[in-house]
Amino acid sequence: MRAEPTLAAGFPDISGMTVARRARWRRWLAAAAIVVVLAAIGRAFANGQIEWSYVGRFLTAKVILEGIVNTIVMAVLAMALGIVLGVAVAIMRLSPNPVLRSVAAGYTWLFRGTPLILQLLLWFNLALVFPTIGIPGLWSGRAVDLMTPFLSALLGLGINQGAYTSEVMRAGMLSVDAGQYEAAQAIGMGRLRALRRIILPQAMRVVIPPLGNEFIGMVKATSLASVIQYPEVLHNAENIYYANSRVIELLIVAGFWYLLVVSVLTPLQMLLERRFARGSLQITR
Amino acid sequence: MTRFSLFVAVTTLAAVATARAAELPETIKQAGELRLTVNSTYAPMEYRDPSTNELVGLDIDLASEIAKRLGVKIVWSETPFAELIPSLQTRRADFIISGISDRGSRREAADFIDYLTTGPQFFVLAESAAQSATDLCGKKVGTTRSTSFPIEIEKWSKLTCEAGGRPAVQYVPGENSIDVRNQLKQGRIDAAVQGSETLPYAQQQEAGKYRVVGEPFSTGYQGIMFRKDDAALREVVTHHLAAMITDGSYKVILDKYGLGANAVRQPLMNAATQ
Repeated sequence: MRAEPTLAAGFPDISGMTVARRARWRRWLAAAAIVVVLAAIGRAFANGQIEWSYVGRFLTAKVILEGIVNTIVMAVLAMALGIVLGVAVAIMRLSPNPVLRSVAAGYTWLFRGTPLILQLLLWFNLALVFPTIGIPGLWSGRAVDLMTPFLSALLGLGINQGAYTSEVMRAGMLSVDAGQYEAAQAIGMGRLRALRRIILPQAMRVVIPPLGNEFIGMVKATSLASVIQYPEVLHNAENIYYANSRVIELLIVAGFWYLLVVSVLTPLQMLLERRFARGSLQITR
Repeated sequence: MTRFSLFVAVTTLAAVATARAAELPETIKQAGELRLTVNSTYAPMEYRDPSTNELVGLDIDLASEIAKRLGVKIVWSETPFAELIPSLQTRRADFIISGISDRGSRREAADFIDYLTTGPQFFVLAESAAQSATDLCGKKVGTTRSTSFPIEIEKWSKLTCEAGGRPAVQYVPGENSIDVRNQLKQGRIDAAVQGSETLPYAQQQEAGKYRVVGEPFSTGYQGIMFRKDDAALREVVTHHLAAMITDGSYKVILDKYGLGANAVRQPLMNAATQ
């Protein structure tokens, strides 16, 4: 049995006392000021030239819900295309083959160097350059039948995304210690197998946060496809206010849905990060 | 009261009324400038001259002449078509003269002083087989989605195509009149619709490319849009517009753009029937 610790002579026994909370009045003051400002902004929105009944009515309108589904579908598909292209281009970029390296650098230069909206308009109007598209001997058709708003948006967004993602993937691959490459080589793994089994799994841990960032950017970038008539949520909200002139009301509706989608995506990214952090000593938060 | 004094009283009142009507609101008079907002994608009503990048067009000329008579200068700004009404509501613009059609649905937000006749007009590529408007039933017809034309096409299709047992027109949205003509050239659509007042210019720009099919399929007016609470400004502008019609300077501007046939006899308020 352990002996009860005894106090040295001259020290008062404070063990039974409660710790007084510090009066953090500055925090209270700051919080109060923020609440007042938010309330004032909220009040301005409530009293401004906004018919809130329209916001409520169109929030769950069929055409808006279809729009947000189209937004999510396009964001997921374009991001998938972007990641596939990005991985391939990053591998090419780090290849010892100078042809592959230059092709990869050229691709990144071209698609990162021009605005996304310009690329979307080019894909949509491709038929002015190539009236018919096809595989010789197999199939051919009018470019406008192939280049629907959906496909134009998917190619425009996905290929542009690939250029950015390739840099993210390259950064991830560079972050893996050179010793890992050497160890893989030492046990007789080829370059591609080492990439697949050793390097990329470790790079994933690093690239998930920036990829999550890019994906959230993509959700909103799909709104640019409204100019080529892809019926995503902003396009459909615009169509409603073109008819009823309730511009700000419909913009609030679209803004609500974007915020909701992004709010759902953020915890999903955390789950994904946790999965790829298995086996790493450092606890990622 | 004698007859004479009654006459004097009435004429004085009338003079005061017209004097007040021709008076600019104090804020504009003091600033010495009118702030006007246009969507400059609608040649020849308002567009940027490709060689000089100057804002030009029929509306620009009309507004400049009005401003000259008011003794103020104009500060122009630009905005997408759909933002014209919000620009008026948020007072970014004092009034709107930008190829906008007077429509009942828009009068909730503003009053229109109508100054030009207009109507949606079908057109096709010159080599198209379509000869009359009814040939377009069941075909893909494109127009600018932010305008009133999509609704007009649907209405026309119901009345003409579907009532006659023909298939309905398939409406295809476009972003602006240039985009719509691009879609037409690529064969994405079979025919397109623009305001009749803009077609002579498009045909002159790309000679022999387009052919008009039928007549404008409804008639309406382009109007200058004023805030409902801004009656003073509306009256003074209407007064000068009427004077310009009388002295012929209005006609000179319309003729410059080949649109003399679209003239009105006098400014009309909220006169369109749709």
